Amino acid sequence: MITIVNYGIGNLGSMLNMFRHIGVKATIESDPVIIQKAEKLVLPGVGSFDAAMNNINSIAGLRDVLDYKALAERIPILGVCLGMQLLTRFSEEGKEPGLGWIPSRTCRFPKHTNLKVPHMGWNVALPNKPNLLTKQLSDNSRFYFVHSYYVKVDDPVHSIMRTHYDIDFDSAIEKDNIYGVQFHPEKSHKNGMQILKNFSLI
Amino acid sequence: MKTLEITSHICSRCIYDNRISNISFDKQGVCNYCHQIDSLADEYGTGMAKGEQLLAKIIEDIRHVGKKKKYDCIIGVSGGTDSSYLLLKAKEWKLRPLAVHYDNTWNSALATMNIKKVTSALDIDLFTYVVDNKEVDDIKKSFLLAGVAEFDADTDIAFVQVLRSTAAKYGIRYILEGHSFITEGISPVGSNYLDGAYVADIHDRFGSKKRKTFPNLTFYQFMKWILVYRQKFIRPLWYIDYSKESARQELIIKTGWQYYGGHHLENRASEFAHTVWLPKKFKVDLRNLTLAANVRRGVMDKKTALSLYNQTIVPQLGLIDYVKKRIDISDAQYHQIMSGPIRTWRNFYTYKKRFERLRPLFYLLAKANLVPTSFYLKYCLPEKIIQ
Amino acid sequence: MLSKRIIPCLLLKDHRLVKTKKFKNPNYIGDPCNTIRIFNELEVDELILLDINSHSNNHEINYSLLKDIATEAFMPMSYGGGIRTLDQARKIFEIGFEKIILNSLIFSSPSTVKKIVDEFGSQAVAASVDYKHNFFNKKNYVYINSGKINTGILVLDYCKNLMNLEIGEIFLTSINREGTWSGFDIETIEKIEKNVNVPLIAHGGCGSSEDIKTLLKLDICSLGIGSLVVYSKKDKGVLINMPNRFNV
Repeated sequence: MITIVNYGIGNLGSMLNMFRHIGVKATIESDPVIIQKAEKLVLPGVGSFDAAMNNINSIAGLRDVLDYKALAERIPILGVCLGMQLLTRFSEEGKEPGLGWIPSRTCRFPKHTNLKVPHMGWNVALPNKPNLLTKQLSDNSRFYFVHSYYVKVDDPVHSIMRTHYDIDFDSAIEKDNIYGVQFHPEKSHKNGMQILKNFSLI
Repeated sequence: MKTLEITSHICSRCIYDNRISNISFDKQGVCNYCHQIDSLADEYGTGMAKGEQLLAKIIEDIRHVGKKKKYDCIIGVSGGTDSSYLLLKAKEWKLRPLAVHYDNTWNSALATMNIKKVTSALDIDLFTYVVDNKEVDDIKKSFLLAGVAEFDADTDIAFVQVLRSTAAKYGIRYILEGHSFITEGISPVGSNYLDGAYVADIHDRFGSKKRKTFPNLTFYQFMKWILVYRQKFIRPLWYIDYSKESARQELIIKTGWQYYGGHHLENRASEFAHTVWLPKKFKVDLRNLTLAANVRRGVMDKKTALSLYNQTIVPQLGLIDYVKKRIDISDAQYHQIMSGPIRTWRNFYTYKKRFERLRPLFYLLAKANLVPTSFYLKYCLPEKIIQ
Repeated sequence: MLSKRIIPCLLLKDHRLVKTKKFKNPNYIGDPCNTIRIFNELEVDELILLDINSHSNNHEINYSLLKDIATEAFMPMSYGGGIRTLDQARKIFEIGFEKIILNSLIFSSPSTVKKIVDEFGSQAVAASVDYKHNFFNKKNYVYINSGKINTGILVLDYCKNLMNLEIGEIFLTSINREGTWSGFDIETIEKIEKNVNVPLIAHGGCGSSEDIKTLLKLDICSLGIGSLVVYSKKDKGVLINMPNRFNV
């Protein structure tokens, strides 16, 4: 059973819908007491870094439960889009520190007139090492992206997919039980389904 | 209630067994349906010189009769193998067909893209009749509430009405259809039934919307097409050597057509009927029609056919949810419907008795190719109730 | 490399999908859920859905239908039609649409547009700009309310002003060419593209893969297709289809 964390940000229905479509049991939960019992977690998110971190930190007990599940109990966790950026230590977008579960930071795309920000549309995410999350994905797997900031891991060993948009950035990251994808699997058809299916089997 | 267990009395030639309604076996254990197919093959000269000659004559007449018209024949299309192949052959025969499609708003991408690929590649015009979505959903719902097996009867009936009325609109006498009794068999009498009165009665009793766009084939309409417009309903595949496998290969190469790997997957309504409604509620598995035909043709051995037939059907993920969404019923209502009472066409008003009374007339009409022989066999012969 | 965007644009009227010609004479196409389910099966990259009835009296956004539609798609979808308030925008996003498309609201209440952009981000908000060619003075004017009211503003000026509202992209439709299969209005599209700094989705008139290729060659990377995906051919039967991505 996959638990999708509802901390007041993001449209979770689409994520739930895709899990249902691939035959994987999933629920949306906001109560930390119930999240405490989760077997696997998905951390979604859209919008601003600070708003998201503030929400997580202000729901009584939620931050503690998440840290516990991630770092002590070490269940599989998947951060999606902004959810992946929250896994980093900090973001150039905001002031709040991130969850810091994977040594990395969130950076702004370079500013020049030729580059349209946000990075929005379908782009290729190239798996760069064998990994449970990216099994059966081809080298030119396309996914739907929409983000204005990108993640840069401290240690390349934690980067599992790379994407090119003016620069090369980490479009999927992993450290032990914690995973993050910058794109939206729930809006990426078959490739998105493969990612979610792989996650459900971890 | 019958179950899908293997029984001991199976036809020695195909795989129909004694659960099939109105079946009988001769001294060699061959069933009457095999004999029916044999006699049709004989009558139509299927795959032989006789068949070729009969068909050539029909083609010549089609070209002759339709000479001054924009199109000389109508071909009903669904995106499936048979109708797509028919378009291919029609071009080979130098006919100028109008492809006609009845869109019940439950099509899958496979159907529409295949129709697109084939009509584009062969440069054939398409006419589509789209029924009102809410109306058809109400009709579908009424069939579920009625608890009868023929969930997709409305589509089959409307398809014929659209073909015939379009033919009339364009002044075309010939309607070509892609049925093949060799590859599909004849569905046994009594196992299911459809006509316009049946659809209307079920909808009148269990539906809530008025029928405004649904093209029903009433008895009056039917007789009008046959006697006044004198439309000829031809099944070219009954005359020629037709193999679905080589037809598919040819279609793939010549038009980019795609095989969807299963019968009835081109439309979600018929998919639901075949993979959920019939097996789960009625314990009926219609795969035997094609499997039996495959065994008769010699493209599949009996053991394989039987083992395939004994595998449980698994409906596509999401199909039942989609049906609930379209029909607008809750999980509880769906459950109620699936476990609810079962009725048959005999519980409703149909034209069956009328067709039986008019048997001599339809015998002649079948001989004149104004109705298909399969129609005569199925509708005009009285049901024999075998104990 | 970002993929080129070839986006089916579907028109909703009550519970049915329709197709108009020059914004008139809606012709019935089919069921919205099933049609979007087909495009989902075809794995289109994204889809635009517009309610063309939103200017009639008593129009309410049909959230229940939109929810049924949204659950059919595993790709991003945009919705436009009758969005007037922040709350309505929020509901559309909650249902599962990625973006909203605003048209008349931009003209009637730019401050509400700003509020929506501030709350949801510019990448989630597109502006729909419909224009008609005036054959006397040869200029293109912006129309609102499904092409019924002439704002009197030139389309180029209007688009330039849109930059102040920080919307994420412009969905530009040529009313004259819509549903005519006669090709895109390349001259106007190119002119506007040079003068705005957001992605432009060109829409109206696409009749073939060649029309698509022509636009892509000009580096205009987002375009909307309507008639091409709901009919088998010009003036022929309804048929839901998608041109092969690799042919364009």
